[in-house]
Amino acid sequence: MSDTSPPGRDSSGRFVKTETPTQAPVGDDQMHPIAKLLFGWVSAKSTPGLFFWGAIIICAGLMLADLAIHRHEYLHFAEFNGFYGIWGFGAFALAVLSGWPLGRLLRRDEDFYGEGDATPQDAGVEDEA
Amino acid sequence: MMAFLETLNPGFVLVLAGVVGCLIPARRVRQGLMVAAPLIGIFMLSQANQSMDLATAELLGLDLVLYRVDSLNFIFGLAFLIAAFLNAIYALHSDDQLQDGMAMAYAGAAVAAAFAGDLLTLFVFWELTAVSSVFLILRAGTRAAYFASMRYLAIQILSGVLLLAGITYVYQANGEVTLAAFTSLDDPGAMLIFFAVGIKAAFPFLHNWLQDSYPKATVVGAVVLSAFTTKLAVLTCARLFPGFEILIWIGAVMTIFPVFFAVIENDLRKVLAYSLNNQVGFMICAIGVGTPLALNGAAAHAFAHIMYKALLFMSMGAVLYRTGTTKANELGGLYKSMPLTTVFCLIGAASISAFPLFSGFVAKSLTMSAVAYEGYVVAWLMLLFASAGVLEHSGIKIPYFAFFGHDSGKRVKEAPFNMLLAMGLASAICILIGLPSFFGLGYGWLYDLLPYPDVANHYQPFTLDHILTQMQLLMLAILAFILLKRFGLYPPEKPGTILDADWTYRRLGFGFANWAGTVWGKAGPAMTHIAGLLAGRGYDRIEAAFSPRGQLSRGPLTGGMAIWAAALLGMAMLLSFLTVQ
Repeated sequence: MSDTSPPGRDSSGRFVKTETPTQAPVGDDQMHPIAKLLFGWVSAKSTPGLFFWGAIIICAGLMLADLAIHRHEYLHFAEFNGFYGIWGFGAFALAVLSGWPLGRLLRRDEDFYGEGDATPQDAGVEDEA
Repeated sequence: MMAFLETLNPGFVLVLAGVVGCLIPARRVRQGLMVAAPLIGIFMLSQANQSMDLATAELLGLDLVLYRVDSLNFIFGLAFLIAAFLNAIYALHSDDQLQDGMAMAYAGAAVAAAFAGDLLTLFVFWELTAVSSVFLILRAGTRAAYFASMRYLAIQILSGVLLLAGITYVYQANGEVTLAAFTSLDDPGAMLIFFAVGIKAAFPFLHNWLQDSYPKATVVGAVVLSAFTTKLAVLTCARLFPGFEILIWIGAVMTIFPVFFAVIENDLRKVLAYSLNNQVGFMICAIGVGTPLALNGAAAHAFAHIMYKALLFMSMGAVLYRTGTTKANELGGLYKSMPLTTVFCLIGAASISAFPLFSGFVAKSLTMSAVAYEGYVVAWLMLLFASAGVLEHSGIKIPYFAFFGHDSGKRVKEAPFNMLLAMGLASAICILIGLPSFFGLGYGWLYDLLPYPDVANHYQPFTLDHILTQMQLLMLAILAFILLKRFGLYPPEKPGTILDADWTYRRLGFGFANWAGTVWGKAGPAMTHIAGLLAGRGYDRIEAAFSPRGQLSRGPLTGGMAIWAAALLGMAMLLSFLTVQ
């Protein structure tokens, strides 16, 4: 006889804590040996924090170095301390943040022009020819 | 034999090898020929004397110069030949006669056009680049690629037609077709050629053939396409329009607008196509400045760009080959299974972003300095903005979303050995020309090849000022990326089609043509019906008046008209007789 109890209840009608199936994480055991050697550090938990603080320290160092070094520029306003850093930060942030409104404005359905999938036929080859 | 080789345009050898390659079914023989032909070409170029007409011909009373090497086209031709060699290695895993042959013919056409000494020879190979390269898109074998290739061909041929029309004006005005720089755009010939070059160089609003076709080409095709067409246009622009101020602004706009499209584009090969547009903008801007330092910048940038752009397309090609996609939302975590491809992609990313010790830094510095030195403040600020933009789309987005970021769970094989070899060689070039000068290598080797080597060798890219300012720009931009990611402000990668200027002809123009066709389909028969009706009625009226059964034939006397005519004639005769009397 098949179990006709509703989902989340046992045969007596009591609520039970069901184990939700989770997608098994893709283990690092399938990693390429060279990847383990070169990029083993990428998946470490401390890596994002290290990147964040490392970038802040390097950027602070570069901005401070600008105070110590007197630069000679063809365009004099660029001699302002930290000009390149501020411009780089602002330009990058502007370009990325503009992606929100531009995406809404310009993004359409994948087959907007009705020409079908553009993946070339020689793509997705697992084994060497 | 040597004397003959010294006077033979290396491009002809590559074109011949390509055509023969199409006919050789034996894979190893054909591929051997494809790898050997560019090496022979490089050897031939090394033997050529500079600044003299090495091969001439006469056609219809026109003096043609089939082969001329000078300080400007040497570096472009050399870059084309190296790219052809790398491409041939990159294609070794595939067995496609037509693709192998046409890729080589295309490279050969670009080399031959680079070394052309007159406008008409340039035109012939200008068109050959279009006709041969279209197969690289067609071979993708999809419906989308077919449509894109037809648009590509139409636009490229239009460029050729404009060039030919311009040449006829130039010939009419000057009586010759030499490749001499124009002095203004007032002459219609100069204007037509300017537009022909503008299409090939993908000026703003003329650019969409590039983003439309390159991402739809085959794995190998996109790599091959990235090297030649636009850089041939850059060379032609440097030859014919150096110092034209309008080019500064066209170039500056070209560097900026692709940045915004690349941010929201999901297909990473299309991101690279936008990035290509942006990089060519730097070269066009430098040509607009037109000083020796700026032209050195354009040439150095073109050489470095051909290498690192090919490298980036190769890495994305490898990803496409293994995973079947280059869509950012479907990728991520590939460093685990394609570590070497990841390393090569990172080298390409560092080069295009112009990190010190990589090729982009020593090339782009020349252009930036030249623009600043001539006092173009706004253009310089635009280029500086675009430099941060390059870091965004090519320096970070490409490697991050393909190889790092969210793990897609895709576990594939590393790229085939031939792909890794080609990427390794391209990476080596990117690093070797980016290093400080040592034993004839480093950036000094590149600077010696530039159009004005004396000016170039006085320029020092590795000064404390340059390194500090460039690192500030790049590191603060990277910090911006880290912060935006950390606070969830980086727009997610979403699948979709991003509208660009091609909407005007793919939707608006196509829609208008469709609408006009529908209207004509209905209006045509209606107009025919009305015309038939009016003609029928007119005939009926005339028939009712003049036919033997008509109104005028009826009357009291049969043949009344004849009597009236005879009477009138008699009266006229009588009157004339009396007048004469």
